[in-house]
Amino acid sequence: MKLAVVGKGGSGKTTTAALVARTFARGGASVVALDCDSNPNLGISLGLGEEETERLIAMRQALEEGEQEHAPGWDQLLDRFGTDAPDGVRLAVVTSIQNPEPGCP
Amino acid sequence: MVGKGGAGKSAIAGTLARVLARQGRLVLAVDSDPMPGLSLSLGLGVVDAPIPDEAVEERPEGDPGPRYRLRSGLSAVEAVERYAVDAPDGVRFLQFGKLRGHVAPFVRSQFAFRQILDELPPESPTVVGDLPGGTRQPFFGWARFADTVLVVVEPTAKGLLSGRRLARLALGDARPRRLVAVANKVRDPTDVELVRARTGLEVLAAVPWDEAVGDAERRGISVLDAAPDSAAVAVVTSLAQRLSMERMSNSIGT
Repeated sequence: MKLAVVGKGGSGKTTTAALVARTFARGGASVVALDCDSNPNLGISLGLGEEETERLIAMRQALEEGEQEHAPGWDQLLDRFGTDAPDGVRLAVVTSIQNPEPGCP
Repeated sequence: MVGKGGAGKSAIAGTLARVLARQGRLVLAVDSDPMPGLSLSLGLGVVDAPIPDEAVEERPEGDPGPRYRLRSGLSAVEAVERYAVDAPDGVRFLQFGKLRGHVAPFVRSQFAFRQILDELPPESPTVVGDLPGGTRQPFFGWARFADTVLVVVEPTAKGLLSGRRLARLALGDARPRRLVAVANKVRDPTDVELVRARTGLEVLAAVPWDEAVGDAERRGISVLDAAPDSAAVAVVTSLAQRLSMERMSNSIGT
């Protein structure tokens, strides 16, 4: 099963996604949480803490700057760019752009 | 006005725009967020009046400049006169970049919006811009003409982290002239100190947690109309006075 959470800023997307992820994990499911937000805070809501949340984003950033190799497949992506969050949820940040790039308004 | 989604950018921008207008300024409130919200916070209800397609033309091949521009003969001042709508307290409201199914009109209006902001005279109108939420591109296109960029920060873990990311972004190439924080939904003095410490920014105003704001947001009206005597309105009024005073002393200084 794949779930996507969308909504207006501040409506509770991240909080809802984290709660759903951990609830499924507690029920025995193997859960991958993907943070696709350009302002990625899912790690915070999963209970991972700020340092680890920012570490994942820094790794994603290093990829963009060519300091990291891309993962060739989803399993390696989760392995190399992911981290273990509470209740066994595996979290990966799959989008984060730190610097606004001119060219696209 | 930048900040995390839900931090309160629109509510503060709408209130600030009207308070500045009540203080005698000619104010242009600009919503550049594809998710409209500022018109509600201004007390206008839902407005669907973006810069129309016909106000924008594609730059002919070979001409220097951006890909789209205002139709030739249409100046920035005229575009505001023609396409801005009247909001309470004499505020003029201009809506940019509303996303309506197709991305092309959005891009065109974004180019028009940048040109208008570039070409408007610096002293008047006073422009209050409500920018898209998040940390991705808030300074792009705005940093070069905004006198002050206000980062609205809610003192939650996610809010503080987002505020810090925005402060960090401002250290890059798109550095605004002045970047300050507005703490929002503040419950006690430690909240303000947290915003200051975690963003590293001066906190220009601390808007208290105020049920009146929440109620107004629920009803889709301006807090200025719903609860003119609320604590939040008082703080935004002081903020407007402070920004005006600083602006005046800067003009005298230069």
